[in-house]
Amino acid sequence: MQEQIKQRLENIISTMTQLPSIPDVVSRIINMVNDPNVDFKAVADEIAKDQSLTTNILKLCNSAYFSKGKEIVSVDRAIVTLGLKEIKDIVVLVTCRNVLDKPILGYDLAAGEMWTHNLTVAILAKKMAMDIKRKDLADIVFTGGIIHDVGKTVLALYVANTFKDIMKVTQEKAVTFIDAEKDVMGFNHQDIGLKILEKWKFPDSLKAVVAYHHNPENSPKEFYKAVSIVHVANIITLMAGVGIGGDGLYHALNPDAVKETGISDADLEKYYSIVPEIVKQAKQI
Amino acid sequence: MANELVNVGVAQLKIGTSEQMLRTILGSCVGICIYDRNKKIGGMAHILLPEALGSNQIEKYADTAIPALINLLLKQGCKKEFMSAKIAGGASMFKFKISTSLGQIGERNIEVSKDILKKAGIALLCEDTGGSTGRVIDFFLNDGHLKVKAGGVEQNYYKV
Ligand SMILES: [Fe+2]
Repeated sequence: MQEQIKQRLENIISTMTQLPSIPDVVSRIINMVNDPNVDFKAVADEIAKDQSLTTNILKLCNSAYFSKGKEIVSVDRAIVTLGLKEIKDIVVLVTCRNVLDKPILGYDLAAGEMWTHNLTVAILAKKMAMDIKRKDLADIVFTGGIIHDVGKTVLALYVANTFKDIMKVTQEKAVTFIDAEKDVMGFNHQDIGLKILEKWKFPDSLKAVVAYHHNPENSPKEFYKAVSIVHVANIITLMAGVGIGGDGLYHALNPDAVKETGISDADLEKYYSIVPEIVKQAKQI
Repeated sequence: MANELVNVGVAQLKIGTSEQMLRTILGSCVGICIYDRNKKIGGMAHILLPEALGSNQIEKYADTAIPALINLLLKQGCKKEFMSAKIAGGASMFKFKISTSLGQIGERNIEVSKDILKKAGIALLCEDTGGSTGRVIDFFLNDGHLKVKAGGVEQNYYKV
């Protein structure tokens, strides 16, 4: 059966048709915003073409987490008030929700549990970036936090059939769940996530977060800090039980990645202790 | 018998009556379930850390949440002599530098929870703790039994 699964996943990856889709406008907006010479009017026009996207963006701009106080009634106003990077984060949030808030059966996550997990990781990672004075990474780690486990949406079906084998490998070979996924199925949810982001034409920074959030040591140097921040935020969120699934805590916290973030031992515990408040924020989004 | 599902979130504390079932999901946190077999009333605390150290968020910490839970039950007319406890959770990361304080949180949560129960004079009847597995726990207040689902395997604890 394992050979069949490897074959099938290989097929899914090479044809890409069975990987989830999001509207093309998302990658266009991400790439526009990443261009230092971007014209904000062009971004506003791009968003305005899609009426339901516009409505959903405005709703989120006025939600407790993103609101800056004054009510925002137009995309132009939203960009001026929140900034292009924050609008880009909101575009990803709005468009990925459908893909990510489903039940993830093989991992034992009920509908909405992974979504709350993702938002919690995103908010926590952004807070960490701000606290260590790396505001420039805030949007990458936020968006990366939202989509880091996107590969699970595809892999879940196969994990459902191989869960016992995967667990057995973690025990017998003393490896993490992510390594055991690869051992049993030929791919882990990071590999599949990377393929999904290729399909979505997302930038390399986000690909790095998705592809290495459990293995920051393999990240390209230029994205190492962002990947490390999401890695740490993810582990802390899992420890607090938020979006913890059948894979439990069969993961690793990489001490070098912690060092890279510059977060002290005491602060790690502090971040862990505020997870309930972050979950509350996440649920308001 | 149908039980009304009540979700207990991280760092929350809830009590309920015999027609209810309290559910929470645990990583390194510990769920403390106390049941009065006479009144058929019980409650659950989902603690995140062992010691409050002066914090006023009493639900978050074992040393403040457990006494608060017992008090809530006493207010409902429960008696300590009929109360008993079950605990679950306190998992640790599979691979972790155990020297870091974060790596020891699961173990510390278990230890302090037991200690506080002992000091309060509540018998601890069973525990499903430690390891690296996440746990979904269901606490049935009609008979006080606890169902623990961990890594696809279910285990029931009936003693009250
Ligand atoms: Fe993951």
